[in-house]
Amino acid sequence: MTSLSEEVLLVVKKVRQKKQDGTLYLMAERIAWGPEGKDRFTVSHLYADIRCQKISPDGKAKVQLQLVLHTGESTTFHFANESTALKDREAAKELLQQLLPKFKKKANKELEEKNRMLQEDPVLFQLYKDLVVSQVISAEEFWANRLGGINNTDPSPYNNKQEVGISGAFLADIRPQTDGCNGLRYNLTADIIESIFRTYPAVKQKYSENVPHNLTEKEFWTRFFQSHYFHRDRINTGTQDIFSECAKQDEKGLKTLVTQGVKNPLVDLQSLEDKTLDEGYGICTTQPSTSNANKSVKDSSNSAIIKRFNHHSAMVLAAGSRRGELASDQASETSSTDGNSRDSDFFQPPVKKVKLQEAIEFEDLQRENRPKTVPLNLKKSDRYAHGPVPLQSQQYTTSQDIINSVNYIRHEMASYKPSLTQVLSSTAATSAIAALSPGGVLMQGGAQQAINQMVPTEVQGELKHLYVAAGELLRHFWSCFPVNTLFLEEKVIKMKSNLERFQMTKLHPFKEKIQRQYLSTNLTGHLEEMLQTAYSKFQVWQTRRMMRKT
Amino acid sequence: MLELKRTLDAKGHGVLEMPSGTGKTISLLSLIVAYQRAFPLEVTKLIYCSRTVPEIEKVVEELRKLMEFYTKETGESNNFLALALSSRKNLCIHPEVSSLRFGKEVDGKCHSLTASYVRAQHHSNPNLPVCRFYEEFDSVGRQVPLPAGIYNLDDLKAFGRRKGWCPYYLARYSILHANIVVYSYHYLLDPKIADLVSKELAKKSVVVFDEAHNIDNVCIDSMSVNITRRTLDRCQTNVDTLQNTIHKIKETDAAKLREEYRRLVEGLKEANVARETDIYLANPVLPDEILQEAVPGSIRTAEHFVGFMRRFLEYLKSRLRVQHVVQESAPQFLKDIFEKVCIDRKPLRFCAERLQSLLRTLEIADIADFSAVTLISNFATLVSTYSQGFTIIIEPFEDRTPTIANPVLHFSCMDPSIAIKPVFQRFQSVVITSGTLSPLDIYPRILDFRPVTMASFTMTLARTCLCPLIVGRGNDQVALSSKFETREDFAVIRNYGNLLLEMSAIVPDGIVAFFTSYVYMENIVASWYEQGILENIQRNKLIFIETQDAAETSMALEKYQEACENGRGAILLSVARGKVSEGIDFVHHYGRAVIMFGVPYVYTQSRILKARLEYLRDQFQIRENDFLTFDAMRHAAQCVGRAIRGKTDYGLMIFADKRYARADKRGKLPRWIQEHINDGSLNLTVDEAVQLSKHFLRQMAQPFRQEDQLGLSLLTLEQLESEDMLQKITQIAHQT
Repeated sequence: MTSLSEEVLLVVKKVRQKKQDGTLYLMAERIAWGPEGKDRFTVSHLYADIRCQKISPDGKAKVQLQLVLHTGESTTFHFANESTALKDREAAKELLQQLLPKFKKKANKELEEKNRMLQEDPVLFQLYKDLVVSQVISAEEFWANRLGGINNTDPSPYNNKQEVGISGAFLADIRPQTDGCNGLRYNLTADIIESIFRTYPAVKQKYSENVPHNLTEKEFWTRFFQSHYFHRDRINTGTQDIFSECAKQDEKGLKTLVTQGVKNPLVDLQSLEDKTLDEGYGICTTQPSTSNANKSVKDSSNSAIIKRFNHHSAMVLAAGSRRGELASDQASETSSTDGNSRDSDFFQPPVKKVKLQEAIEFEDLQRENRPKTVPLNLKKSDRYAHGPVPLQSQQYTTSQDIINSVNYIRHEMASYKPSLTQVLSSTAATSAIAALSPGGVLMQGGAQQAINQMVPTEVQGELKHLYVAAGELLRHFWSCFPVNTLFLEEKVIKMKSNLERFQMTKLHPFKEKIQRQYLSTNLTGHLEEMLQTAYSKFQVWQTRRMMRKT
Repeated sequence: MLELKRTLDAKGHGVLEMPSGTGKTISLLSLIVAYQRAFPLEVTKLIYCSRTVPEIEKVVEELRKLMEFYTKETGESNNFLALALSSRKNLCIHPEVSSLRFGKEVDGKCHSLTASYVRAQHHSNPNLPVCRFYEEFDSVGRQVPLPAGIYNLDDLKAFGRRKGWCPYYLARYSILHANIVVYSYHYLLDPKIADLVSKELAKKSVVVFDEAHNIDNVCIDSMSVNITRRTLDRCQTNVDTLQNTIHKIKETDAAKLREEYRRLVEGLKEANVARETDIYLANPVLPDEILQEAVPGSIRTAEHFVGFMRRFLEYLKSRLRVQHVVQESAPQFLKDIFEKVCIDRKPLRFCAERLQSLLRTLEIADIADFSAVTLISNFATLVSTYSQGFTIIIEPFEDRTPTIANPVLHFSCMDPSIAIKPVFQRFQSVVITSGTLSPLDIYPRILDFRPVTMASFTMTLARTCLCPLIVGRGNDQVALSSKFETREDFAVIRNYGNLLLEMSAIVPDGIVAFFTSYVYMENIVASWYEQGILENIQRNKLIFIETQDAAETSMALEKYQEACENGRGAILLSVARGKVSEGIDFVHHYGRAVIMFGVPYVYTQSRILKARLEYLRDQFQIRENDFLTFDAMRHAAQCVGRAIRGKTDYGLMIFADKRYARADKRGKLPRWIQEHINDGSLNLTVDEAVQLSKHFLRQMAQPFRQEDQLGLSLLTLEQLESEDMLQKITQIAHQT
């Protein structure tokens, strides 16, 4: 259709789909497949629609690639070129692997956003049900101009989205599976890779140093899993391992962390003891320092585990709060440069004082300084949570003010004397009386108001839905004019049919229903009128077009 | 308060157990201060000893609050002087010296700048560096006493900076006339320091040992000596330096040595006079008899003394060459030394004193360099002075590594009463208190004193904010225990892991888990890692582990607190008897649950411990098992007590060992924990414990306001003054 403008990234020939030979195209935004000898695609998926790709195991005869969509459907491609099947598949897979995550986020975000909108707006939800679920218009059309508008109006929720921390167990989530022939398979997702990079910047650095030039991505991760780095109980032995450097860096980082010391003096174990015993005094002398050299391998591997767990937790914590820390780091830096000669002394006491005060204060013994408040007794707390919007900031009046004004009004009322002659001119008064007497201008509305009571509420509700739905469709319809592109032309035709379908499937049954209930039929009159106007507009447009064509 | 008042009235000693976080410190302070105000002649000074630097500072801050309250209520400021004293490391303001990281370095550097002869040389040679703060203090600081007020460590430093005086020496000087002194145990118990610092403190003082559950170990540590081959080597070089210096001095300044000789003939008479007139606190290293005699002739001249030390050193070296473990008493050792190298008992006893004198005469600047020879001389004095209460054990190698020779001579004190005896004798009231002192009667026995009051208090709680549970079985009914036979049992380790895993899923914020020993923890962590339990725990919380390195552990602790603070939640794996279990509090969300894996028995195979147990049995009729259980339970109680620091705090206490259910163990827990263990929670499975904890935590998480406590565990002034409350209080007072 519009493939001309698209950039084709990869073309794989001899790919079968549903037992039909064809060619697979990977383009900038979608993947498509067309049967051989035809110049249109029978299969075309946007990347954003694809949830994941699956590949057949290496040992299998058929080399296949399966795409699973968000809707749950799946499409399987069979790479049939005997000599290069595997290579073709790998190429397609690699490319997809790079492309999918980019779109995935977008798709997820969109889905989330749509979901959120539907949940928050019951009217919209009803509309969605009326139009999309009953297949009057497609979901895409429904969202087409809605999302854009919303995205443009308030982009703020995206920009300062809350940073998500890292699960402490992300390494545990990589469950190794045996693949049957003495090997292990690790499943890595983009999220896990992201977590690894954020937690271990050293690995990220290695990755960016090595991956495109020296190693493929797969090799990199294979080595990662083989390294002692991932297995925390293994002790660093080989020097060829590219991760041994990482481990060293980590160790260095840990050391700097340790030498930095702790800010809170209450947890600083080193300065806890006031007077340590001199060397040589005391009972317990089995210091580990002497036995360090003759530690067994097992012991040192155990302590390596402990060290790495501490490090891991610290890194996870740091990755989670990195952004927040930046500010505080700067603050502490500036303060330390102020007194750079003896910073420890100038810098410590405030922290220490605060901590000490915290430690000796008991909140239940504090005299409450706040004015007495009445505790809020909630029967249904969720109603409180989702209650009406908070009041705009207003000028609050004190009770004294209120009493004063009440007094004032009372006083005014007491001395109030109506001067009726000056209220209205006599002509105006007569015309008003005429208008209000039966048969007058203003009394005609009374009959219409009566409908309000005549029609049962459920019908009213239904009518309301119909109005909303019709309004939505009509909005789509009218937004097509002036019809100046091919696309709009198509759309207007489609919308017309949508409107007709709406009239048939929704409006007519409703009309019949009211008739059955012996209600006045002109309930739907206005709706029909609106539709009619649209039809006539369409008619005019179509005849004009025909004329232009001929 | 009542018990304390009785103690003070009777001028006797007391043992008080009060739960942590119930205002132990402030009650002690307020009563004693009030007593001091009422009877200024009866009680002249309060000496408050605590364990760690933060605790000392906390006490001073509470005291400050109390004094502020006094001024507010009475409208006049009282002229109390209270100050904290700590080591040079925490008080030094000299820019170069205070930047050193280790206490020993600071002490050594300080000494090299402030020693009397250094200053004397400075007069002739102004280029020689001295500490200007000390000079300033020495010239003017002593004339004006420190103005009345409350001085914490930082206040002292600030004051010192303002005046240009050395805060450390100022504090040491001021404690003599201060009304309240707050410092660490060591200043009273360690004879080496007490001699310097606390010698002249007034007799009419009240001494409070807070957090005193470990006081016997502090006493023992301060009197025990270990000598390794390295010590001896360093001692050898020390002696060589001494020899050289003596030669040098002899050529230049022989008069100095003659002067010293004269002094030694005079003997230690001055010190003797001082002690008899009751001005000095007795030093257990320097027994009374020595003071009456002159230094014996055989070691009076400097060369002779150095030769004597050399001989003694050679003898010790030969003793360390043994191939098997030797254990002997002090008299045996003396007999042997007399036979082998003809060293008499008498000169040995003067060793320490003689060395001090020599070091002074020779103007040795860096005392820290001579720590080895000082150690040896202290050992010599101790071994020749006390025939009772000490034992000598020579081990040629460590038990775990029998192939590597690493000979150590342990001279270990087995009787804590030796170190603390002068304190009890000198001061009119000594109060020993802690959150966990049960069973109370054992302390007077091992410390050898007769208290007038002994009491254990519980808490009045508006809600049961502690929930002790004894988990005795796993879900598969395997008995949980850390006893030696099942220590390596995978079923037990797995069940322990499950317990932690399940708890990590239901407990909010922080969990602290204690293991019985470091080795045990390492093994368990390794096998949890292999079984994947740790990974599962990581899904719920971050894991931090105590290591043997203090700096690393500090960092882990801070990160742990950070993780609790930001809501991620964390688990700290730690060791009973470790630094964390002794000094760190886990208030509120820093510790919502404490899990005690196993019973923290001390390593019973150690020869030193065996000797001590034997001694206890013979001297004090305390059975080995009783003492071991007592020791294990006080550490367990100390660990779990870390989590509750007040009435608004709450926490689970999980004892994961079936042995806790036995009456002899349970009975040794503090009363305030014991009374919350009900019979239903004596032998729970992991699942049952989880159910109970869930219920408990949910209840505790409800808002808890001041009004809920009023009238129950919190009284307003009106309530306190009301008639029936007073009646109730007197009733309670009579009961106890």
